[in-house]
Amino acid sequence: MKVLAIRVAIVVALLGAWEIVGRTANPLLYVPPSAAVPALGRLLARDSYPDLAEHLLLTLREILVAYALAIAAGLGCGFALGFNRLVGRAYGPILAALYAVPAVVWYPSLMLFFGLDAASKIAFGFLLGFFPITLAVLAGIRQVSPQMLLVARAFGADGLTAFRKVTLPAMLFTLVGGLRTGLALTVIGVIVGEILGSKSGMGSLINHAYGLFRTADYIALVVVTLVLIVGSDALASVIEHRAQRWTE
Amino acid sequence: MSELIVVEGVSKRYVTSSGPVDALRDISLSVGGGEFCTLIGPSGCGKSTLLGMLGGLVTADTGRVVVDGRPVERPDPRRVATVFQDPGLFPWRTTLENVEFGLELRGVPAAHRRRVATDLLGPLGLRDFAAKYPRELSGGMRQRVAIGRALAIDTPIVLMDEPFGALDEQTRVLMGEWLLDIWRRMRKTVVFVTHSLHEALALSTRVVVMTARPGRIKSVLQLPMPYPRAMESVELVALRAKLWSDIRDESLRAMGEATP
Amino acid sequence: MDTLRVRAVQVLSVTALLLAWEGVARAGWVDPLFVPAPSAVLRAFGRIGGAALAGLGDTLLKTAIAYVLAVVIGVGGGILLGSVRPLRQAVNPFVIALYGMPKILVLPWIVLFLGFGATPAVVYATIHGVFPILVLVTGAVRDVDRTLVTVARAFGARRWQLYWKVVLPAIVPTVLAGMRLGIVFCLLGVLVVEMFAGVRGMGYVLSSLANGFRAPELFAATALVSAASIVIVLSLDVLNDHLSQWRGEPR
Repeated sequence: MKVLAIRVAIVVALLGAWEIVGRTANPLLYVPPSAAVPALGRLLARDSYPDLAEHLLLTLREILVAYALAIAAGLGCGFALGFNRLVGRAYGPILAALYAVPAVVWYPSLMLFFGLDAASKIAFGFLLGFFPITLAVLAGIRQVSPQMLLVARAFGADGLTAFRKVTLPAMLFTLVGGLRTGLALTVIGVIVGEILGSKSGMGSLINHAYGLFRTADYIALVVVTLVLIVGSDALASVIEHRAQRWTE
Repeated sequence: MSELIVVEGVSKRYVTSSGPVDALRDISLSVGGGEFCTLIGPSGCGKSTLLGMLGGLVTADTGRVVVDGRPVERPDPRRVATVFQDPGLFPWRTTLENVEFGLELRGVPAAHRRRVATDLLGPLGLRDFAAKYPRELSGGMRQRVAIGRALAIDTPIVLMDEPFGALDEQTRVLMGEWLLDIWRRMRKTVVFVTHSLHEALALSTRVVVMTARPGRIKSVLQLPMPYPRAMESVELVALRAKLWSDIRDESLRAMGEATP
Repeated sequence: MDTLRVRAVQVLSVTALLLAWEGVARAGWVDPLFVPAPSAVLRAFGRIGGAALAGLGDTLLKTAIAYVLAVVIGVGGGILLGSVRPLRQAVNPFVIALYGMPKILVLPWIVLFLGFGATPAVVYATIHGVFPILVLVTGAVRDVDRTLVTVARAFGARRWQLYWKVVLPAIVPTVLAGMRLGIVFCLLGVLVVEMFAGVRGMGYVLSSLANGFRAPELFAATALVSAASIVIVLSLDVLNDHLSQWRGEPR
């Protein structure tokens, strides 16, 4: 109970401070909650940004396409590297080295190649989501106990059967974790891409509001985007828990 | 011989999520200087709690615990050293550094610490392992390092909570013999917790049998026999039978069955 | 398995890739405006070398400042939260929520507040880098082996001795892991701000090269910053390994 009280107190204190600062300081910078909430209302009522729905849908589409590509490539590369020892040992370190590079470094090149449209955001989102998925596949394969595979072979299972009945279930948990991380990163990639330069999508709206010093609208847009992000992660988390129940 | 450790009317109750649990009820016992006193009893009888009280890590709800004339309120590393079942060695310290730990806390200068610890390695049988890390040592070796750490601070009393519990049978027996040697050479007072009858009979001068929870003292056996113990001798066989019959009832009770 | 065979595969595939790329570019199958030939990229190194290195230096300086701040706040805060249970329980959900939130969303506000230049970059990068370190260190302090703490108390350790001789040494591996994560996060933060609202630094350089459609120079600069990043992370890994050996831990 005491813990809950402290948390509530923190939230109230922060909101209170925000309100006070918002009313007294520079209105371009500090928008108090009392002004932000109506801005949110205006946004949702399609008042401030009438084509909000289109932008939201575009962002969602970009995320979905990027994620689908990331899964396909991630699983493909992951299994290719995981099952062929030579390939894995040759390209594994290269992959790890590339992962050490902050992904945003590739973005200008992507923008040059794909332009300012959805394609560059999809490419960037794909790039961010690809790594955790591949790494999760590799980690998952590595942690499958050779003992279990031995048992399967002793019972006469061939390669494909052993894969389906032993490797896959054993690595499912790690794999799903990687898929979840991959989704989170893809979402971030798409949004970062949009904010750094685009003509449409939620990120571009945020940029627009910021550029015109429409701080209240900016906050409202951030809130909506946050809902999108949290929502997608919550969905992924539910699926992850289902997978957890299967493997344990 | 004046009693070095005196426990009078001590009780301890724990509050758990499933209600209050009486770990100890009205325990009174005393241990004389130079003794090897073993506490034995079924699981959950509170022997570790009692040991914790002697070491100042657990406070009693009632009664008093007096060590060397002083009531025990907190750990007193000048009088009491403790060895736990988990050796609890610091993985980032070498054998020597682990043995020095207590001396370090006390502020003993480095050169002197090093000398004390190095001198101990011989009797500990760890002379070749001075610079090794715990992960390079076997379970028995690690426990020896833990015992060395306790001996390094040269306290009159050493408490041991099932120190050989995680070891295999052969290692246990050998470690027991080694411990006896150390005890007699260094003339410590040892309070030793175990659930092994063999250890109790082979090592102790006095055995205290505790009841199932809530722990009370069921019986106290004196073992004046010389060392090394002839386990097949008539007296020891009789004592073993007595000990077992005392413990058996309590073990059954601890397991939840009525005594026949 | 031969290290030789592995090396051979790596070298051969990279060489084959570069040759194929060069061939494709020369044959005119791709627009050189978007995909320059490797040879063109190499020449571009010479042209932009000075500017790129200056930009890189600028970026790395901001990263270093942000990194120091992130480590100090992250480790200090982590020890505090890990040790004080009521505080941790109260604050933890906020920390987790903030950790999971993409901080890019507050970047426009930070730039509004702090303007362009180095300050928003350092501030944003610090925020970016603090969270993984904070979360890791909090967990490590909370999860210090209870037995070790009991042992120390049994030997009469006072509170400060407990921290100095048990907690701090015990969390070193986690701190190192956090520091390795932190550097990438901080560098990323600086680059993002430079791209969003920068006037100097590698992010800005990359951005303007892209806007100017100078593909060979862009590829060269990208390669440069990637190489620098890999070197930094690899050095941290090597440092990490040596420290673990010295502490007697399994690598």
